[in-house]
Amino acid sequence: MSVKLSHRYRNQATYLMQTVVTIAIAVFCLTPMFYILSTSLKPRGAEYMIPLELWPSKPTLQAYRAVLGIVEEAELESETKGSMVLPADQARIVKSLNFITPLRNSLIVSTSVAALSLLISSLSAYAIARLRFKYKIQSLIFLQLGAMIPIAVTIAPTFMLMRSLGLLRTLLAMIIPNIFYNVPMSTWLIACYFAELPFDLEDAAKMDGYKPIQIFRKVIIPLAAPGLFSAGVFAFLGSWGEFMLASAVSMGIPAVQTVPAAMLNFSVQFRYEWTWISAAIILSVALVAFMTLVFQRWVIRGLTAGAVKY
Amino acid sequence: MPRQHKFSLAGAIMKIRLREPTIAFLFLLPAFIGVIVFYYYQIVQTGIYSLHNLQHTADWQTQPFVWFKNYATVFRSTYFWQSLRFTVYFTVMATALELAVGLGMAMATFWVSRWLGGILRAIIVMPWVIPPIINAMIWRWLFHADVGLFGYILVSLGLADKPPLFLTEPVLAVHSVIFADVWKNSSIMAIFLLGGLAAIPADIYDAAKVDGARSWFRFRKVTLPMLLPTILVALLFRGIDALRTFDLIYGLTGGGPGTVTETLSSFAYKYYFTYGKFGLGSAYAIVVFAIIVGLAVIYLSRIRRNLRFKE
Repeated sequence: MSVKLSHRYRNQATYLMQTVVTIAIAVFCLTPMFYILSTSLKPRGAEYMIPLELWPSKPTLQAYRAVLGIVEEAELESETKGSMVLPADQARIVKSLNFITPLRNSLIVSTSVAALSLLISSLSAYAIARLRFKYKIQSLIFLQLGAMIPIAVTIAPTFMLMRSLGLLRTLLAMIIPNIFYNVPMSTWLIACYFAELPFDLEDAAKMDGYKPIQIFRKVIIPLAAPGLFSAGVFAFLGSWGEFMLASAVSMGIPAVQTVPAAMLNFSVQFRYEWTWISAAIILSVALVAFMTLVFQRWVIRGLTAGAVKY
Repeated sequence: MPRQHKFSLAGAIMKIRLREPTIAFLFLLPAFIGVIVFYYYQIVQTGIYSLHNLQHTADWQTQPFVWFKNYATVFRSTYFWQSLRFTVYFTVMATALELAVGLGMAMATFWVSRWLGGILRAIIVMPWVIPPIINAMIWRWLFHADVGLFGYILVSLGLADKPPLFLTEPVLAVHSVIFADVWKNSSIMAIFLLGGLAAIPADIYDAAKVDGARSWFRFRKVTLPMLLPTILVALLFRGIDALRTFDLIYGLTGGGPGTVTETLSSFAYKYYFTYGKFGLGSAYAIVVFAIIVGLAVIYLSRIRRNLRFKE
């Protein structure tokens, strides 16, 4: 009896410990974003008030409206009352923010990069994981070694290359290099996934009279969908956050800036408007965070499959 | 009447019988071309730039060839040695701490009950999702000198009289940058290690348990050795990434105070786009590359060992 009881207590103690550990990790991982969210919901200027409020007593979407360039007359009147700024000037500033453009640009860039790098790297991954040819390891290492080269090394000639192609200040100048920034990693992730499919698949398909391209398209690709998917998310995230190239080739033109480049500009231009900056941060992260959360299982599985293979 | 042959390109291509190596070559071609154009060719170009006295908008052909003068300038400048020291310190500290935190998080996720583990997984990936430059913004606000959350917490706990100058006092700035990096990248470390943990066969644990091994002993003698290959690869992966850190520095401290937190990459970028000295910046970049190649070779020889692709 007493043994059983102590066992139950021990179980409860373990459960308590587990909950405490989970909460501790959650606090570590989520506090910064939580505080940014809370700042973004404060009225303009309230972010500097001491004592700091962990959560605004009167949450408002004012900052989001400002960042997205949606503004109402009455709001401007009250905001500019007693200050030197005229409502019209304030309206012009707010209208010029318009964070929708970088969000749209980033969406275009990241989607194209994810799709095209997936196409290219699924081909190369198929060759590496499932076809017989000489110099296989060397090919893989050739691709991987490329990916080790820092962008700081390649940025100057890439900038020159884009200039001579006349692509500066266009989204293409970000899309094309970013595709290949992601190809080596995607190839690796997908190849690891392909390698796990049984090798008789091809033989069976060949018996049924499939041609190599058909085997690739109709047999292998559908079976490896989760691996492809996680590689796609990886490429999407990578190009969503890519900053050095984006800020170099967009050359400060708001119309072609992606989120990271616009974000930096924004934070320089409005360095004291932390409710606005916070709102912009939340807007930049919301989509990718949501995407990762929804597909979290696949993403982690794809990533760990690659890691275990090492 | 003779049968009409309608020519179709797709049909013709499908009819060609290709040998497997040829197919492999064709499949690899797009990736190879891209990687050559955007990585290898660029390195050669950067190498050429680094031998010229190249200014921002000029073509390198028209600029004076200066042999290794740019490298001499680089190696003679105290800024270079300082930023090299910082880059190495940053890399070592950040990677080590990320390993510790990531391992802790991975072990915890593995240890807690099933549904808590599911929640933890979702929470742990979150910092990884945040782009580096956005991460820099976040910490600029949390480390704010007057109203930053961190300073505020320290003051309200009575640990400091006034908020510390996280980003403007040299020693503090260095460690604030490291902290911001650790916060974001412990996640990816944990994800990698989770994969490694999941690959350890369960019966090894059970055997150890039956033998009456204590949990610390089990961790040291069973988990850690089995996890070692994954740890090594994760360390190299992160180390290579940390050596070329740029975004975080650029957004968080801008290399300041002074040039205390300037990494080699951020210096190269500054030479390029702030001072317009492409030649000198290229010399910096080549030095970064040389350092990274060393690590990359170890890393690649490491992953090569376990490749189990169809030969």
